[in-house]
Amino acid sequence: MRVGPLSTRNAGAHKDGGLAQIFSRHFGFLFRLAALAALVIVTALILLWRAVMAYPAGVHDALEQPIPFSHKHHVGDDGIDCRYCHTSVERSAFAGIPPLSTCMTCHSQLYTDQPMLKPLIAAYESGVPFHWQRLHKLPDFVYFDHSIHIAKGVGCETCHGRVDEMPLMARVAPLTMQWCLDCHRAPQKYLRPHDQVFSMGWHAKDQLALGERLLREYHIDTRRLTDCSVCHR
Amino acid sequence: MSSSKVPPFDLDAARAQLRDTRGPRYWRSLEELADGEGFQAWLKAQFPQLAQDAPLDRRGFLKFIGASMALAGLTACSHPPQTELVPYVHGQDEWATGLPRYFATTLTRNGYAQGALVRSDEGRPTKVEGNPQHPASLGATDIFAQAAILQLWDPDRSQSVMRGDIVATWEDFAAEWLVLRARFDRNGGAGLRVLTRTLTSPTLAAQLEALQNKYPDARWHVHEPGGASLSRGMDASGLPRSVHYRFDRAKVILTLDADFLSDPAAGVRYSHDFISGRDPERGAMSRLYAVEPTPSVTGMMADHRLPLESARIHGFAQALAQRLGVANIGSTGGFVPSSDHARWLDAVAADLRSTQNASLIVAGFAQPPEAHALAHAMNVALGNVGNTIGFGAPIEALPAQALAPKANDDGSLRALASAMRVGLVDTLLVLDGNPVYDTSADLAIADALKHVPHLLHLGLYRDETGTLAEWHLPLAHALEAWGDARAFDGSASIAQPLIAPLYGGKSAIELMSLLLEGNFSDGRALVRQQSASQLRDDDAWNAALKSGVISNTAMTVTSVSPPFPRKRGSSDFHAIESNILDARLSRNDKALELLFRPDPAIGAGEWSNNGWLQELPKPLTQLTWDNVALISPDLAKRYKLNNGDVVELRSHGGKLHAPVWIMPGQATHSVTVHLGYGRTRAGHIGDGIGYNANALRTSDSPWQADDLQIVATGENCELATTQHHFNMEGRDLVRESTLSEYLRDPQSAVAHDKYGEKPPSLYPDYLKGEYAWGMSIDLNACIGCKACTIACQSENNIPVVGKDQVHRGREMHWIRVDHYYEGDAETPTMLSQPVPCMMCEHAPCELVCPVDATVHDSEGLNVQVYNRCVGTRFCSNNCPYKVRRFNFMQYADKQTPQYEAMRNPEVSVRRRGIMEKCTYCIQRIETAHIAADKESRRLRDGEVVTACQAVCPTRAIRFGDISDAQSQVSKAKASPRNYAMLAELGTRPRTTYLARIRNPNPALKDET
Repeated sequence: MRVGPLSTRNAGAHKDGGLAQIFSRHFGFLFRLAALAALVIVTALILLWRAVMAYPAGVHDALEQPIPFSHKHHVGDDGIDCRYCHTSVERSAFAGIPPLSTCMTCHSQLYTDQPMLKPLIAAYESGVPFHWQRLHKLPDFVYFDHSIHIAKGVGCETCHGRVDEMPLMARVAPLTMQWCLDCHRAPQKYLRPHDQVFSMGWHAKDQLALGERLLREYHIDTRRLTDCSVCHR
Repeated sequence: MSSSKVPPFDLDAARAQLRDTRGPRYWRSLEELADGEGFQAWLKAQFPQLAQDAPLDRRGFLKFIGASMALAGLTACSHPPQTELVPYVHGQDEWATGLPRYFATTLTRNGYAQGALVRSDEGRPTKVEGNPQHPASLGATDIFAQAAILQLWDPDRSQSVMRGDIVATWEDFAAEWLVLRARFDRNGGAGLRVLTRTLTSPTLAAQLEALQNKYPDARWHVHEPGGASLSRGMDASGLPRSVHYRFDRAKVILTLDADFLSDPAAGVRYSHDFISGRDPERGAMSRLYAVEPTPSVTGMMADHRLPLESARIHGFAQALAQRLGVANIGSTGGFVPSSDHARWLDAVAADLRSTQNASLIVAGFAQPPEAHALAHAMNVALGNVGNTIGFGAPIEALPAQALAPKANDDGSLRALASAMRVGLVDTLLVLDGNPVYDTSADLAIADALKHVPHLLHLGLYRDETGTLAEWHLPLAHALEAWGDARAFDGSASIAQPLIAPLYGGKSAIELMSLLLEGNFSDGRALVRQQSASQLRDDDAWNAALKSGVISNTAMTVTSVSPPFPRKRGSSDFHAIESNILDARLSRNDKALELLFRPDPAIGAGEWSNNGWLQELPKPLTQLTWDNVALISPDLAKRYKLNNGDVVELRSHGGKLHAPVWIMPGQATHSVTVHLGYGRTRAGHIGDGIGYNANALRTSDSPWQADDLQIVATGENCELATTQHHFNMEGRDLVRESTLSEYLRDPQSAVAHDKYGEKPPSLYPDYLKGEYAWGMSIDLNACIGCKACTIACQSENNIPVVGKDQVHRGREMHWIRVDHYYEGDAETPTMLSQPVPCMMCEHAPCELVCPVDATVHDSEGLNVQVYNRCVGTRFCSNNCPYKVRRFNFMQYADKQTPQYEAMRNPEVSVRRRGIMEKCTYCIQRIETAHIAADKESRRLRDGEVVTACQAVCPTRAIRFGDISDAQSQVSKAKASPRNYAMLAELGTRPRTTYLARIRNPNPALKDET
């Protein structure tokens, strides 16, 4: 058999004929298809991850509460001050959820026969409170303090939005670290005079000029506002 | 990997090492001192931070990495849980939710009051602080008061009334008691006995008196397992008196086996007083001589320490009394002072005589009455009575028979045991005690109890006694119930509950009200009624509750010295029968004595189930989770023993197996064992660790046995000591000098610092903020009690890791207390050094963190950001001070609801894989910062107090703003004794130390 020369010729044919076709004719199409599929899959994964990791109630989502308490009615229509219910907001890290006895200062007389108030009356009489669904929840390693923000002229509205226009309470801010830092890096964008901290719908004529003045007036040490230790322990 | 056993050390090599060194050389363990090649190799191989379960090959490593990445992906898939807010039904005035509140209350240790301020977060007690207004506290506490929080929340506590093994109710018990009571009403209480621990509670004492009046044939017995306080003395007729020491006024102090700095009743106060008399800045320092068989915290602070067998101390005291001119010394029981002893005796006697009416001699609780009588006679001869020592009415309440012993009954447990055996006891009520475990073996209490038809046990735990009881009744914790107690000086104070009983427990006074009246009275009403004569109206009552002390209740201290008991019935100070060690040694130089002591961390067993205390490296040995038999280096050599070798201890016909620990500074013929271990019904933490030393004790001589024999078994036991951990490779870390040197040249202690505190650096200075936090630790004031470690653990939610993890060097304490020896192994001097984070201005840890999880803040804190940390541990490797702690496992218990409730809500609970370290109590800084910022003012000096600073009995730790020259910490740092650890590295630590100053007697200068 003359295997040897034959093999040699075949090998030579390649050499003579130039490079072989590595990519098939359909490769371009398949590549675009695969890239598209990858894009779809990655996007889907990101969306899925975001959906899974998101807060139970997103921004502007109201949650079903045992009593459909309306801030719009109490703040907007009746003009009740925030501190009437959230009593510890000026003293404590926690603004305070009013005890049922606070509700009963009015509701022992008003709307006592309304079906929506039945859980309140029942809880007050039995001494076993109902549970509100929490909307504003920070991670455990974040130590937010309401009282210092109030003392330094951060308005309720700045973080909680126009609660006087909310029939059901909803979160208006993402409560992410990025969002916190937006103000901690430049508090002058948001500071209010002390008498406007609890106001709704207030606007400064020239916020930046006012903010710069208030920064000095309130003795805010901006050097440490972005220190990790201010919020994390 | 090499074997995990510490290589044997060679005493001769150690001695040779010391011979060849010049100047002070500090060492931490005998193995290090001997410096054999084996030890270095062992230390490197075992470098505890890097210890692994098993060597890992490449393939295994890749498998683990793959699996952990997959698992990490899975666990990430969850959103934050929807949480709920629960409103109160009725608002409470002046109570802003989220703000902690503090209540003054009273904790007790061995019956004596320790004033405390307890923090309450929304009704949950979370932290104990000292009460500055209480005489036994002055704002500080000991380790036990700190650990009371963990005890309160211990899930192993008794949770129900038990009748035998059946769950019952308090109503069942009350009904049963009415049946029993009907009988006692008829027979005058014959057969009814009550057993208590030491008690000072006026309310409970009055109730017990009422019980005796109502039932004349009932008896009350007292048994205190933890040893008596030094403040308890007695006069010539054996009647109790209280003794009041003024360690702050004494210029020369001699202790004869008296560890007054750890006294159960007043250790915190004595420590404070002692250190306030030792201020080198004022140039006035007292001088402390300690003669003791086994090193103690007090011995560590001594300027001269003489290791001497316990049985020879009485003879030593006689020889000293002779030199001081005390008449009728009596025979010395064969004590033959060596030439060293004689030199010591002469020097001490001369020193004592040189101070006019300002010396003090104290004998320890384990010493016989004759030694106490001698100490008293010497105090009289030196004119100390009325100056440094005074006497008052007794503070403890005692049964009538203890004051006037009836036939075979002196109110002791021994009398009770013999009464039980002959069937005289029908009903025994144990009010908070565990006699089945914590008594001498010869009493065989468990056996004697078989003759008692009705055993009623009130206790925090259903322990060894509780399980034998017909009725076990859960005791309310001190933080759950009303009560009262007296302090060492007699001051009465009220204990108020911070929380309703978690498991329906009742206090001793509530139970006694049932016994007396047939129904439960309210504890508050009982205490109020008892104190009615002192607190006449609501205002006075509220004021006493608020301050934590009932004013004007301290005992009047008189200088009238009671003639103390000498040898029973005679006027001599004769040596007693057992005091014949020297005589026995002359016949047989292998004679040994066995000493029993309460464990320094867990007492006589009442704290066995407390993880914080079990894991606290015990002062001096740095052992955790175990008890050992302490032996001297000489004895170890003679018996060829190494640390951890198990020996059989034989005494009085009993025997037990114990691992030995070679204790530098231990008297040659003394072997010390600690009580509190070998528990069988302590709970999940305390069961089955160590051995029960009570097995060798006798009720005749509960603290000492003189016929000890030891036999090596050839076995070895692994012990978890932290002494080798976080070792800083023999660098120059502690500084000390003597008072005379210091007065001559204030720089002498720190003179060899080449660069000062701030060597030149290429790194830029950090950005300066409004404050610059810093800390100063005074080594001259640190007594090594370790209260700071436990206070930090409580404040900062630091987990317990267990013996195995400690053995691997993974303990989590943020502030450790290092222990150093200097000098030879037989009579070393010792000192301790607390090491928290140094908060370096140029922190080496920050430079190596790949994710910026450890960074500086503008006020100079080196902060650890848990949510950024990925656990590379580079920072820990690069930390020259070894203060960083890594969560190798999920140490924080997040399953047990009690522990969740116990934690400080101001501090994050760290999870597995996170690095953590001392933060200078950043939560306290922030709280104070916010309070000051709200008022737009500067923080005042002393407004921020760290947990370790607050608890320190001797104020050794000072903290504050170092940019303010007038702050306490700046003034401390301005001292010529100030030095920074490893300053030559250029880390610029914010935590600095003040050198230790000793005040040795020039006459003993050559002695080491």
